[in-house]
Amino acid sequence: MRLRLLSCLAICLLVIFPAQADIVVVARSENGFGALNKSEVINIFLGRYRQLAGGQIAEPVDLPMQSAERNIFYERLIGKTSAEINAYWARLLFTGRVSPPRQVDNSEQLIEILLNSPRTIGYLDRSKVDRRLQIVFELGSK
Amino acid sequence: MKMTNSSGIRNLALALLLAHQSALHAEEPERSFSLNGFGTLGATRSTSREAGFVRDLSQPHGSQGSWNGNIDSLLGLQANWNATQRLAFVGQAISRYHNGGSYSPELMWAFARYDLNGNLSLRLGRLATDFYLLSESRQVGYTYLTVRPVTDFFGLLPFSHIDGGDAQFTTPLGDALLRGRLHLGWLNESLPLADREWSLKGSRMAGASIGLQRGPWTVRLSSSEVHFKHDLPINDLIAGLNSVAAYYPGAANAASHLDVAHSRSRFDSIGSIYENGPFQAQFMWSTVHHSTAAFQNWKAGYFLAGYRIDQFTPFASYSWIRSKPRNMSSGIPPAAGLDVLNAGVSAVLADSHSQQQTTSLGVRWDMQTNVDLKFQVDLIRGKAASIFPFRDERSNWDGQTKVFSLVLDYIF
Repeated sequence: MRLRLLSCLAICLLVIFPAQADIVVVARSENGFGALNKSEVINIFLGRYRQLAGGQIAEPVDLPMQSAERNIFYERLIGKTSAEINAYWARLLFTGRVSPPRQVDNSEQLIEILLNSPRTIGYLDRSKVDRRLQIVFELGSK
Repeated sequence: MKMTNSSGIRNLALALLLAHQSALHAEEPERSFSLNGFGTLGATRSTSREAGFVRDLSQPHGSQGSWNGNIDSLLGLQANWNATQRLAFVGQAISRYHNGGSYSPELMWAFARYDLNGNLSLRLGRLATDFYLLSESRQVGYTYLTVRPVTDFFGLLPFSHIDGGDAQFTTPLGDALLRGRLHLGWLNESLPLADREWSLKGSRMAGASIGLQRGPWTVRLSSSEVHFKHDLPINDLIAGLNSVAAYYPGAANAASHLDVAHSRSRFDSIGSIYENGPFQAQFMWSTVHHSTAAFQNWKAGYFLAGYRIDQFTPFASYSWIRSKPRNMSSGIPPAAGLDVLNAGVSAVLADSHSQQQTTSLGVRWDMQTNVDLKFQVDLIRGKAASIFPFRDERSNWDGQTKVFSLVLDYIF
């Protein structure tokens, strides 16, 4: 039952999202991370460099592999598909360097984590952002 | 109708319940222990029967006119334990066809990593050798585009790991990232040489690299030096040369030039990667200098480009390696009746010659999550004297062969 619901949801998202998705990178409002630029966001999510200008270490969080938001996020950020991102992380994993972003099941869970852990950073559709969250980078809509 | 409605409500309730449960899961701490693996199943055929095509010089025999499953097949397992935010332990074992002609497992990684802060990371233990950009992950087929790392470039680096440590420093520089690395350690393996083995155990390797990453570009300069501990397994030749040194002083000189123990080999390289959306390209170049006369100095390089179209990424590469023959005389005149010694010296000098270029075409198909299938053809065009990259050469070897490869890579 759960599977069917999830696949229904996934199909709906796939159909609706590419047309009007507006993905933004967010953190908890109280963090005061300030705006990030594109290369900082790339460095954080690809594990190249996670220290912010203020000295804190950012912890990126990913949405599920099959989610439309995740596909759109990496596609717009660096033009890579999920398979390519996967191969990239396999390279880092099997050289024992850095860990890939922690993965959550859905955007509700992501918001929960963002609000509870001060150093986390994630991406969401703009429609889901409320006052508790601050937008630190905008990918722009297509 | 009523039935449908109520089952719809039940579904919704169930969905909410599940969502609530997974939200609870989110508060559990991150899993700190993980076990992963990777592997390749491959079939490789080099058309020439006159020389064995190998992936790298750790393999004692290669494909010689027929399909061979040993060249590219391997299996690896890795355990990661993130003990704390800063301290992690990693162990990785690989089973592949290598020295001794067996698949006996070897420990590739076994280290502790300590991240002092966002800038500095230290590792201590067994580390894979990092001569060139991308060489650390050269066993994990799923992580790169081609069937195997370009053999003209990576194939002559049979040193797979060191016991030692490294320090890596990363800092932003404008909108680029600057990364420096120092490493020091001791090799701990043996290499097949004809029917003998050459021990690398205890040979010291030290090196440094500095790289810049900016937008789609990554560029890295690397330099490593190996200080060998043991001689090649050619004691009989060396003893023969020394035994006639009283009559031919040049022979002792030749013997000492063929010593590898205490000699140094230096590997300098520049590597660059360009990745922009579906397009990716690599260029690497290296120059290798040996202080012993037993190995020829060489220069090697390659260009590689690929373009992803949906799940398929066709690619093409061009690579080359050229080594410079050494002129060294044994000091023994041809008429002296010691042709065996002269032939032995010539054979050692000729054995490390490489002079060839390779054009490769292929395609990678990302058929499903964590699995890819690749097909590749390599056209190797070289001189008959180009024997260093090959095994079991026969007298008819003309330096030309085609290599067909089909591999399935996976990670789990």
